[in-house]
Amino acid sequence: MKSLYFKLACSGIAKNKRLYIPYILTCVGMIMMYYIIYSLSRCPLLDSIKGGSNAKAVLMLGTFVIIIFSAIFLFYTNSFLVRRRNKEFGLYNILGMNKRNISKVIGCESLILSAGSIIVGTGIGILLSKLAELGLLNVIHSELSYSYVIPFDAVISTFAYFGAVFILLFLNSLRIVGTSNPLALLGSESLGEKPPKGNRIIAVVGLIILALAYYIAVSITSPIDALSWFFLAVIMVIVATYMLFISGSVVLCKILKKNKKYYYKKSHFVSVSSMLFRMKRNGAGLASICVLCTMVLVMLSSTICLYIGAEDSINARYPRDIINEVTLSNEGQDNDAVVNQLHKSIDNIPLVKDKKIKDSVIDYRYSDTYGLLRDNRLITDVRDLETGGAISYSDVCYVMLFSLEDYNRQTHGNEKLGKNEAIISLGRMDFSFDTLSIDGTETLKIKKQVPLFVENGNAVSLINPTIYLVVDDYEDFTAPLKGKIGVTEEPLLSERWYYGFNVDADEQACASITNESLEAIKKISLKYNFGNDSFSYSCSSKAMERGDFYTTFGGLFFIGIMLSIMFVFAAVLIIYYKQISEGYEDRNRFDIMQKIGMTKKDIRKSINSQVLTVFFLPLISAGIHLAFAFPLIWKLLQLFNMYNLPLLIIVTICVFIVFGILYGIIYRITSNVYYSIVSDKA
Amino acid sequence: MSLLQVENLQKIYTTRFGNNQVEALHNVSFSVEKGEYVAIMGESGSGKTTLLNILASLDKPTSGTVYLENQNLGNIKDKKLADFRRDNLGFVFQEFNLLDTFSVEDNIYLPLVLAGKSYKEMNNRIVPISDELGITHLLKKFPYEISGGQKQRVAVARALITNPKLILADEPTGALDSKATDELLRLFSEINEVGQTILMVTHSVKAASHASRVLFIKDGQVFHQIYRGDSTNEELYQKISNTLTILATGGDSI
Repeated sequence: MKSLYFKLACSGIAKNKRLYIPYILTCVGMIMMYYIIYSLSRCPLLDSIKGGSNAKAVLMLGTFVIIIFSAIFLFYTNSFLVRRRNKEFGLYNILGMNKRNISKVIGCESLILSAGSIIVGTGIGILLSKLAELGLLNVIHSELSYSYVIPFDAVISTFAYFGAVFILLFLNSLRIVGTSNPLALLGSESLGEKPPKGNRIIAVVGLIILALAYYIAVSITSPIDALSWFFLAVIMVIVATYMLFISGSVVLCKILKKNKKYYYKKSHFVSVSSMLFRMKRNGAGLASICVLCTMVLVMLSSTICLYIGAEDSINARYPRDIINEVTLSNEGQDNDAVVNQLHKSIDNIPLVKDKKIKDSVIDYRYSDTYGLLRDNRLITDVRDLETGGAISYSDVCYVMLFSLEDYNRQTHGNEKLGKNEAIISLGRMDFSFDTLSIDGTETLKIKKQVPLFVENGNAVSLINPTIYLVVDDYEDFTAPLKGKIGVTEEPLLSERWYYGFNVDADEQACASITNESLEAIKKISLKYNFGNDSFSYSCSSKAMERGDFYTTFGGLFFIGIMLSIMFVFAAVLIIYYKQISEGYEDRNRFDIMQKIGMTKKDIRKSINSQVLTVFFLPLISAGIHLAFAFPLIWKLLQLFNMYNLPLLIIVTICVFIVFGILYGIIYRITSNVYYSIVSDKA
Repeated sequence: MSLLQVENLQKIYTTRFGNNQVEALHNVSFSVEKGEYVAIMGESGSGKTTLLNILASLDKPTSGTVYLENQNLGNIKDKKLADFRRDNLGFVFQEFNLLDTFSVEDNIYLPLVLAGKSYKEMNNRIVPISDELGITHLLKKFPYEISGGQKQRVAVARALITNPKLILADEPTGALDSKATDELLRLFSEINEVGQTILMVTHSVKAASHASRVLFIKDGQVFHQIYRGDSTNEELYQKISNTLTILATGGDSI
């Protein structure tokens, strides 16, 4: 008896190979992906790379996404399979098998499928993980050779996690078979079905939610807001997509149907009415495809752009090969003399003397402060704020003050400013007032707004809105702010010296330059004895920091690609199952139409237009989503020091085109399956 | 010239595997006059359905010709066949074959829409037909909401709306209960009385007893035919029964 169940299970899988092969492939794919990402996140090699922990964190995040997504998706496909096969189980039931026996058959099937796909998936995972490791090490620009170790904890984790998922899937199948009445299901296909009722309210609500989400995406100006609103906007778009695909499309078809002149045309009659039914059945599936496509597009365009633009980000953060920054004292020191000495002692380092490229020097002083920006008033002490006003992080504004002298030197210009006049430049914000007042100082009249005129890595690395301010009487203007203490118990105003230059030297030489510079600065700081003050200094070389960027951006790029592959997998499977189930439904319909006087050509034309519409609707919607998400993505990338807009535009368009072509190929393959099912009879 | 003329029809099927040949029709000849109501009877496998498919131009004979109003069906190009069917023939099937994606009204319109008629014209045509068939109150419903008898009346309306030269009915009472059967046969008689030619394939004696002439097919050949003459339905019923008994018990000829 035992072998009978086993045989039935085997033959059940073999007979339904049209359904099962894609399912097994998906299981194997998911398991493989999980194993690869998980084992990479545990890879000991990453510990030995500078910044390897960044890549590890990103990979852990990826594992987490896979865990959630694979569970949801396998449940979806499994219930589709079981529903499709209910009729067969009904037949077993009539032939004298009770539900217990059927459960055993299902159990055998689950065992075969799960054991097979876990073993194969892990196996392929082990083989490919070495390749993936190589790929990852490559994208994070590491030159370490890869290891040959198979991390057994990854194998065990894969077995445990997917074992649990498959047990749950098995229980779910039992639930579906148990609660359905197989006898009724046997004859269910000939019953015909209700026409769909489009719910106008749901459609309208969906439209409103979508419009709101789009509005949020388009109207946000600051990157911090983008970060906090991003997830809300994503959820709103997903919800709206489902609402619109399920209900909105039905409502639209009904409106078309009401227009008798339009509806009773040969070319519209059949397609509009069939679309009505298709949308009801497939709205959720199409919405899922649309959401997956959007995710893939957003993920790929942003991570690819980050990766390609990594060098730009590094250059923004570290505008020169060597960057020295020293925070000077506020307390009556002769800062000019200090800066002079610092300058000299750094330039006197032998390596700097030899290798410094003269043209590349940036050298300026600035003061910075921060406060809450309300309209055109910068509130430096939050305690001054009237109660009740909620503080948004994006209102915290960073202000950098420059002297006119430095400004003219940077811009090679000859600008003149009157008393209390200022030149302004903005980062990550909009400002449209004529005046600006900083608490404690005189109100400034803004003479003009200019594009960014200094290169400063710190300001770039911040996520706050930033005001760059140039005043003539710099010392006088900043005097009232000196000595004030801000909310963080640190001086409100800090004066800094920023000194960067390129060197004609390799990474090692850069490292020794930074070390020697640090020594030199330290010596001077001791000499002036402002050790207990907020005197601080840093010295960094671009070459050494580069690794940090590539581990983060490379890790994101890698995970973006991997997750995209998985999402595409999922979308393909949904599309494929949709085509199959529609094919079986449409078979009879087209048979009848042919008898009544539709030519084969008419039928084929009608099928084509329907399949095409249904198929490319998600892609087009995903494109629209992407277009509206674009400003948001752009803002978010700024948080990663990514300021290259043309690059983002080009990457996004390319990703969309490539994805569109891929989608078209999938369409061709799966629609052939559909045609072969329909033409079996027609 | 008759409305429908069938001459020496032969149809040979070759099974898909191997070369077994089955002759479904053998030298079938008959004709149908305009306004006639002809029933074709025969047991399962006698070749009834093959004959009907050939008359409907859904299938091609191996040899022999079919003329509909002097038009040789064999000479119509494949591309034009569907148009020809739509314009000249009306179909009523055993399984109704209504499309579940359309309302009753749209199901009836379907052939006219395919023929490119305007909505106004379609609407003008449907009113008298739906009145006559008693389905006016059903027009806005969907096929799943109405009974089998009602579905078959809708199918008849769909067949009639193109003003076809000939209505081909394939076991139209096969899926109906006795009350709905009576109703449908009454309708067929009424339609026939106003001049509509009907050709019905059936193995129901009752259905055949409403016709003006009954053809019997056995093993792919026209075996016999009965004219109604002045008989009532009951008398014709009796005659048909007798003929079938003889056919079944193996009378070589009558």
